[in-house]
Amino acid sequence: MAPEPPLLSMSGITKSFPGVRALDGVDLDVRAGEVHCLLGQNGAGKSTLIKVLAGVHQPDSGTLRWRGERVAPRSPLAAVRLGIATIHQELDLVEHLSVAANVHLGHEPTRAGFVLRRGAATSATAALLERLGHPEIHPGRPVGTLSAAQRQIVSMARALSHDVRLIVMDEPSAALDPDEVDNLFRIVAGLTAADVAVVYISHRLEEIRRIGDRVTVLKDGRAVARGLPARSTPTRQVVAMMTGRDVGHVFPARRAQAPAQDAAVPDPVVPDAALPHRGPVATAATPSPPTSAPVLSVRGLSRPGEFAPLDLDVRAGEIVGLAGLVGSGRSEILETVYGARRPRTGRVLVDGRPLRPGSVRAAVRAGLGLAPEERKAQALLMTESVSRNVSLSALPRFARGGWIDRRAEREAAREATRELSLRPEVPAVAVATLSGGNQQKAVLARWLLRGCRVLLLDEPTRGVDVGARAELYAVVRRLADEGLAVLLVSSEIPEVLGLADRVLVLREGRVVHEAPARALDEHRVLDLVMNAHRDETDTGPRERAHRNAPGSDTRPHKDSYKDAYGEGNPVS
Amino acid sequence: MHQLTASRRRLLLGAAAASAGALLTGCTSNDTGEGDGDRTAANDRPAADDKPGKRITIGYAGPQADHGWLNAVNDNARQRAEKYPDVTLEVTEGSNDTAQQIGQIETLINRQVDVLVVLPADGKALTRVGLKAMRAGIPVVNLDRVFNTPQAYRCWVGGDNYGMGLNAGHYIGERLKDKPNAKVVELAGLDNLELTKQRTQGFDDALKNYPNIKKVARQAAEFTVESGQAKMAQLLQAQQDFDALWNHDDDQGVGALRAVDQAGREDFLMVGGAGALSAFQAIKAGRGVLKATVLYPPTMAASAIDLARALGQGKGVSGLAEFEIPSSLTCYSAVVDKENVDQYMSTGFK
Amino acid sequence: MTQHVSPPRDGTRRTAAPAGRPARRSLPVRADVRTLTLLGVLAVLVLIGGLTRPHEFLDTRNLQLVLTQASVIGVVTVGMTFVITSGGIDLSVGAIVALSSVWATTVATQSHGLAGILLAATLVGLGCGLVNGVLIAYGGVVPFIATLAMLASARGLALQITDGRTQVVTVRGVLDLGERETYVLGVPPLVLVFAAVAVAGWLLFHRTTFGRRTIAVGGNPEAARLAGIDVRRQRLYLYLLSGLCCGIAAFLLIVLAGSGQNTNGNLYELDAIAAVIIGGTLLSGGRGTVTGSVLGVLIFTTITNLFALNNLQTDVQQIAKGAIIVAAVLVQRRTASTA
Repeated sequence: MAPEPPLLSMSGITKSFPGVRALDGVDLDVRAGEVHCLLGQNGAGKSTLIKVLAGVHQPDSGTLRWRGERVAPRSPLAAVRLGIATIHQELDLVEHLSVAANVHLGHEPTRAGFVLRRGAATSATAALLERLGHPEIHPGRPVGTLSAAQRQIVSMARALSHDVRLIVMDEPSAALDPDEVDNLFRIVAGLTAADVAVVYISHRLEEIRRIGDRVTVLKDGRAVARGLPARSTPTRQVVAMMTGRDVGHVFPARRAQAPAQDAAVPDPVVPDAALPHRGPVATAATPSPPTSAPVLSVRGLSRPGEFAPLDLDVRAGEIVGLAGLVGSGRSEILETVYGARRPRTGRVLVDGRPLRPGSVRAAVRAGLGLAPEERKAQALLMTESVSRNVSLSALPRFARGGWIDRRAEREAAREATRELSLRPEVPAVAVATLSGGNQQKAVLARWLLRGCRVLLLDEPTRGVDVGARAELYAVVRRLADEGLAVLLVSSEIPEVLGLADRVLVLREGRVVHEAPARALDEHRVLDLVMNAHRDETDTGPRERAHRNAPGSDTRPHKDSYKDAYGEGNPVS
Repeated sequence: MHQLTASRRRLLLGAAAASAGALLTGCTSNDTGEGDGDRTAANDRPAADDKPGKRITIGYAGPQADHGWLNAVNDNARQRAEKYPDVTLEVTEGSNDTAQQIGQIETLINRQVDVLVVLPADGKALTRVGLKAMRAGIPVVNLDRVFNTPQAYRCWVGGDNYGMGLNAGHYIGERLKDKPNAKVVELAGLDNLELTKQRTQGFDDALKNYPNIKKVARQAAEFTVESGQAKMAQLLQAQQDFDALWNHDDDQGVGALRAVDQAGREDFLMVGGAGALSAFQAIKAGRGVLKATVLYPPTMAASAIDLARALGQGKGVSGLAEFEIPSSLTCYSAVVDKENVDQYMSTGFK
Repeated sequence: MTQHVSPPRDGTRRTAAPAGRPARRSLPVRADVRTLTLLGVLAVLVLIGGLTRPHEFLDTRNLQLVLTQASVIGVVTVGMTFVITSGGIDLSVGAIVALSSVWATTVATQSHGLAGILLAATLVGLGCGLVNGVLIAYGGVVPFIATLAMLASARGLALQITDGRTQVVTVRGVLDLGERETYVLGVPPLVLVFAAVAVAGWLLFHRTTFGRRTIAVGGNPEAARLAGIDVRRQRLYLYLLSGLCCGIAAFLLIVLAGSGQNTNGNLYELDAIAAVIIGGTLLSGGRGTVTGSVLGVLIFTTITNLFALNNLQTDVQQIAKGAIIVAAVLVQRRTASTA
């Protein structure tokens, strides 16, 4: 007899959205009764993959086999009928309906087709909640009155109210306390004992160690590792797969006279793949000497709960990278520097002059420009043309008395986009039709046109096809060479190391290490950003507070988050 | 109720007959031909008895006066009550909100006023509170917008919408009866309202008496100047030639006249409705197309106060054989034209 | 979208531009289709009018009439177009028109003549717009709620001023503007004002930083903020603009009706929103068209005119109006998606 086929087998799944390829030939096998963990950074394609599985999205190509048979669920209902239920991260419960009504939403027990049998729904719900270890949740209570953990249970009860063989859980522990996580794990164990398979998505590696059987790692829409043993694969290897490069990448050469200290170290990356120099656009043109005063200075900037007081300087022509995992405070720092978040303490100075805190307009006027992480939500007018998107921050330049000189606007936008070799070179096309990389270039072109002096880049290659990244790197490097100060945030460690001159490593809102990029390598940074994870799995949280990462070129930094706050030094 | 009736009967015997008919004239028009100079519309003289009787408190609850006519109704009630030294009028804040008006009337009931005069924002919706007052022994005079059941009021006083249409139709009919193939148009009020249908029905019924007259167009405005202007402008464009126009409401008539002016038309006769001061003045001046208006007299509120006072003091209506005041009183929709406009000028509302 | 992505080290990529050419005309063409659809609807209406009442409909006086009747709500609609494009809504336009028209026709105001009336109407409109704008932009009140509150209070204040009475205008100079003698080459002054506001609105929308920022704020407020645009100030200006338009409309209404009344501007908010939406402006913001809104107003006014000329009654008018709104929007969706 042939071996039993896996419960679920996805192969070669691809899915593209306008501007980005979210899944690029992903394979996934899930066996009956196992806990299969899905790992990957934000934007790696996890949600798209489970949405394909749940029938929310239809793949562009690739096949799904369910118990050996080819299927193509066209809707969430079809997936549920097959026996695949999904518990989404944003719980999809109706707050004003009761627990029982939510559990049976869409498949209410009825008499004669439409008369609700409320008694049946209530008792079935009670039985499910009992099975999930939460008999205290009353089926008649409105969901809106429940705690986050209880809602999670209700969501799970809803999944189990169908006859399911596979349950997908998208970061189920994110909103739970440790006790509740234990209960969750008990439930998961109960399910697998009943031969139900669980696809478990989480950022917390230690959870995967506790309950996972096998691990699949996604990166940039591809499965970089499939079916690894969850308990025995070294954490470091897993994280390296999540943050590392699966394809060789090309980083542009740093300037010969980089502002960093050890310019003599030979550059490890392939030399100049950058564009031919086209002359300055509207930026401060002359590269500053390495010893010049910083353009951007941050002093004691903090937001409790997000990041501890931070000092940093960025000089003209320098790229400073912030490396860290999700939750390390990277994006928050960038947005606070930009004035989009109001700091509790500290100041941001441009050319030594402090900015009004919490004011984006003050920051923009002083020459800061932000390319945010969520380009579509935070930077672009998707249905508007490239030209209008690019000119948005520099409108007054083309306007006399509020009157826009549209030709001048178009020409300037065209030149700025050409400078970045944005394609297509047609300023009138809608930004929504561009690829991710070109959308990012449109954002950069906006700041170029505005004439900004400090560029803040938050995950500049998120949603950018792998092949187009090198070009974007070249653009950023060239802008720096032309005199911009660049502050870069990325969860891709090789990206930070390859692009930045100097790197600050963040962990849980604190800078734990600062060094020239050349003095660091990927493994070193991995150790630094992951220390916390090791703490949790190996030594426990006790020692965490005051431990600094060891290392020869470590510069003493702020002691700890808590201590810094104990001083209570608000700066106006 | 029995005790009340008995005492009222006794008092009635002593009621003066001097003001005979005055009560009715407060509400109905004298036929102009009758020529009794003593009788004027909105007679200043109190109806039942000039002499102060028992001191009584009348509660008055009207809707929000967002329209000239309603404003005039409230004014008429207030001024009438001031004429009687023995009457205290408790007036609520006018409201178009049914719930709020119910609350206001319940407050009046709790304060144990002697009689209630209610012009409901919505007759049907306020029936319950009318019943409540009646059960509490407070007689209710229902003004104009009628309650659902006669049990909710002791006496109803109101206008005659069908009569307005009828009289307007007869007035126009008489003036056009010798003209072959005469055409008339109608500018109706808000079409959602029952009263608009009644006015149109009366008008159509009257025109049936004049086979030579045909109604060629009808458009509904919304009792507002703005809508009157807009709809009239369209009517004038649609009908390049007609002989008479009946406009349901003098307020929207201000707009209609404006449209007539703007179109430079003066080849027809216009009859208005309600009895606004501006309409009276235009009729008196006699230069424009407006030749007459059919009353929907706001003086009915003054009559309601008279009736309420009579109820409170246990009097009847002088000049009638009955001991009791009538259970309903429909005001006559007189036609006011240049002949008799002076007589009505003081009742015209702004 | 992968065709835009060239291999990392492709030295010739700067000349690879023509690949994207076909997309060039996508935006203007879509806008044109919308306008053409509306013009088509208008043409059909004209055709119906010409067939049913040729003598009365196809007549200079009727054209003057339709345009005059369109001018009051038209001016309001231009302001509403900006507000809706910015992702907001102004439910108070009708009430502001009422309040402005009433304030501008009190005996005291009328004693200052035409200038007094005009000034009072626009200032009251601006004042209401200022309150709306401050509440929404700086008070963080949702536009729906803030303008709903303004609707209630402005109507209440208008009632308080008039006591429900019609305030007849006696200023000759104002009344004359509504009459035949003042027509300029056959064009009523009211229509001239409407045309001026529409053209000014179009220029403001399509040719100025103000219009561009309006689109940005409506399309993506977060992006606009992060691009350094003062989103709050822009919102304030937008409601001020809407208030100003209401003030101008109130003046036109005073001229047209020869009076001020607290019931003026009844349901203007719905008429204006309907015209803006069938004109092709997105209710969710980010895309707008002044041309479409003006055509929307003309379509509605023409429909009303057609019905009146054919002596159709209110019930039929309302049913047909609803059907036409749905039909126009459906046709637009269809044509826009196939374009």
